[in-house]
Amino acid sequence: MKMKAQNALMKGKALTNGWSVVSLRNRIAFYYTIATAFLIAIVFTTIYFMVENVVYKQFDDEIKREISEILAYSNISIHNFQGFANIKDIDDAHNDNDHDNKSTKKKKLPVDTDFIQLVNRTGEVMNKSASLSWCVLAFNPNQSGTSYFNSDFGGTLVRQAQVPLVNQKGITEGYLIVATPLKNALIVLHDLREIFLFSFPVIILTLFVLTRSIAGKSIRPIEKVIATAEKMSQENLDQRIPLPYHHDELYRLSTTMNALLDRLEDAFLREKNFTADASHELKTPIAVLKGTLEVLIRKPREREYYETRIQFCLTELNRMSRMIDQLLLLARYESSKMNPHIETIVLSRHLENVIERVRPSALAKSISITVDHAEQALVAADPGMLDMILENILSNAVKYSPSRSLIAIVVERTTNAIVCRICDHGIGIPEEKLHAVFDRFYRVDESRNSSTGGLGLGLSIVKKLADLQQIKISIESKEKCGTSFSLTFPVRDING
Amino acid sequence: MRLLIIEDEPGIAGFLKDGLEEEYFAVDIAYDGKSGLDLALINEYDLLIIDWMIPALSGIEVCRQVRKAGNPVPILFLTAKDTVEDVVFGLEAGANDYIKKPFEFEELLARIRVQLRNKNQNDDSLSAGILSINPVTHQVFCGSNEIILTPKEFALLEYLIRNKDRVCTRSRIIEHVWDIHFDSDTSVIDVYITFLRRKLEAAGAGNIIQTIRGVGYIIREPGMS
Repeated sequence: MKMKAQNALMKGKALTNGWSVVSLRNRIAFYYTIATAFLIAIVFTTIYFMVENVVYKQFDDEIKREISEILAYSNISIHNFQGFANIKDIDDAHNDNDHDNKSTKKKKLPVDTDFIQLVNRTGEVMNKSASLSWCVLAFNPNQSGTSYFNSDFGGTLVRQAQVPLVNQKGITEGYLIVATPLKNALIVLHDLREIFLFSFPVIILTLFVLTRSIAGKSIRPIEKVIATAEKMSQENLDQRIPLPYHHDELYRLSTTMNALLDRLEDAFLREKNFTADASHELKTPIAVLKGTLEVLIRKPREREYYETRIQFCLTELNRMSRMIDQLLLLARYESSKMNPHIETIVLSRHLENVIERVRPSALAKSISITVDHAEQALVAADPGMLDMILENILSNAVKYSPSRSLIAIVVERTTNAIVCRICDHGIGIPEEKLHAVFDRFYRVDESRNSSTGGLGLGLSIVKKLADLQQIKISIESKEKCGTSFSLTFPVRDING
Repeated sequence: MRLLIIEDEPGIAGFLKDGLEEEYFAVDIAYDGKSGLDLALINEYDLLIIDWMIPALSGIEVCRQVRKAGNPVPILFLTAKDTVEDVVFGLEAGANDYIKKPFEFEELLARIRVQLRNKNQNDDSLSAGILSINPVTHQVFCGSNEIILTPKEFALLEYLIRNKDRVCTRSRIIEHVWDIHFDSDTSVIDVYITFLRRKLEAAGAGNIIQTIRGVGYIIREPGMS
């Protein structure tokens, strides 16, 4: 037993001291970080694309305005294109506009680096602004309708709009291409990307470290539980795990563990008390025998004196042997090796047998025993064990009943059980002592002497036997009025 | 010497009373702590034997109460528990000695005698003048001549010698030499004193027992008057 417990403890130690506590902490941090990283990635990407979108939209709007200005100034109609010949020098127009109309210039963004280019349907450059000098803007012949796109222009990226010029017949004669350099915007976007890419791992790492320490802090109560549990042994079973401040799962864990410890301690104390009681109960008769015989042998005595003392020793020996028998019986039942042979039996027959057995002692005190409604009751029980239970309860009833009183046995049938009630009108049991009557060596009468001849084992044997057969046993009592034992036989076994 | 046994187990109380009375002790029995404590506080005992596990009031509690009342009577406790803590607990409660159940009767007797010894006494022998008595063997010597006494005579002489040079009142003698069942007619003392004087004088011890008129008796160590 002890070895097993030791082993379990060692195993527990190996598990708890090693990586598993840290791992729980790391695991929490890891999962949390993964989830957060995912979220942050989504947020960053969204922000990036939104910013990019806004930036390009601004460029596109700018270009759009530019285009409409150019079209207005150069008198080009995109739906009623009159051919390239009618077009004034677009660059000049632009510059003129700059010079002549200062009010319009104010409205404009600094578009000093705008590039304008007119191409025909095949992409041949028909006209272009001076800012382009020898360069040519890219033309995308597959494009239909107005489109905005990025393109590479002499090593720098530009935002470019391509507006188709359609003649009266609806045929695209050529395209107006306007471009503006993206330089500043690109720097912004690039920086944003850089910041995001750099900050992402930093945030994640910081988060992991933080979460890990917070997780460690929040599972610290678990370590307290472990520390307390490790220190626990037979000697300090009264120790309890300190309860955490917050009423959370750990609080519940601690209270659950404490409740478990309560039960363990209770069982342990019971066992300890039993050992102490057993040693007291066995040592006392030995002390009596030894002392009586020692005193007897010190001097020569009268025959009568010898006889009374030897008689006394014999009764004491008988009592002791009865107690040893019952203790052995109890030990055998407790080891649970005893399997009851459950059969369907007629309860009344067993009751009669047992009543017959206790009749002499009942008659001696003029106690009458009545049995009600037991004729048809079939119960599932081990016949031998049932007899023992009934005899114990009945002989107790006789023992604690006053002369000329009545012991009533009533058998009742409820929907799912058969209840056998044995009621006496004896001295009864005080309420505060009812819970302990099934404990081994417990005697309601505190003076542990043998005035009633009881050993304090009978009812614990009864309880054990009843448990083995799944018979529920309960007790009701009122001091000085009487005691009633109820045996509840389960009905489900009756057919079996 | 009068003893009180507080023990709920009648078997043990019974053989203790039998055995101790044979050793010329006057023995009273109480079967529970409460009545035991009452007896211990009312009567003057030379020693208490208390079982630890007794109903109504535990042995420990009886022990404490007796000490609280300022009673220095030697206390021996009987215990079936044999853990060190129990023993320590008992001794700390004011007991002088303990003995574990089951015990040898002779050992108990020896322990009782140790507790009854006077403070500066190393062995059990008691003496007054040329008179010496041995409570273990129940022998009385006048010089080298043995005097044969009845148990009551011996108990009376033992009590007087244990309290030599002190006046023993009749009521104290009754309390210490006879048990509780004896009615307090003290004239029985005079009868036994007469028997005792006669036997001692015949053996040559002289009139060692003096009468203090109206009070009681005294044995004086010769040379101290």
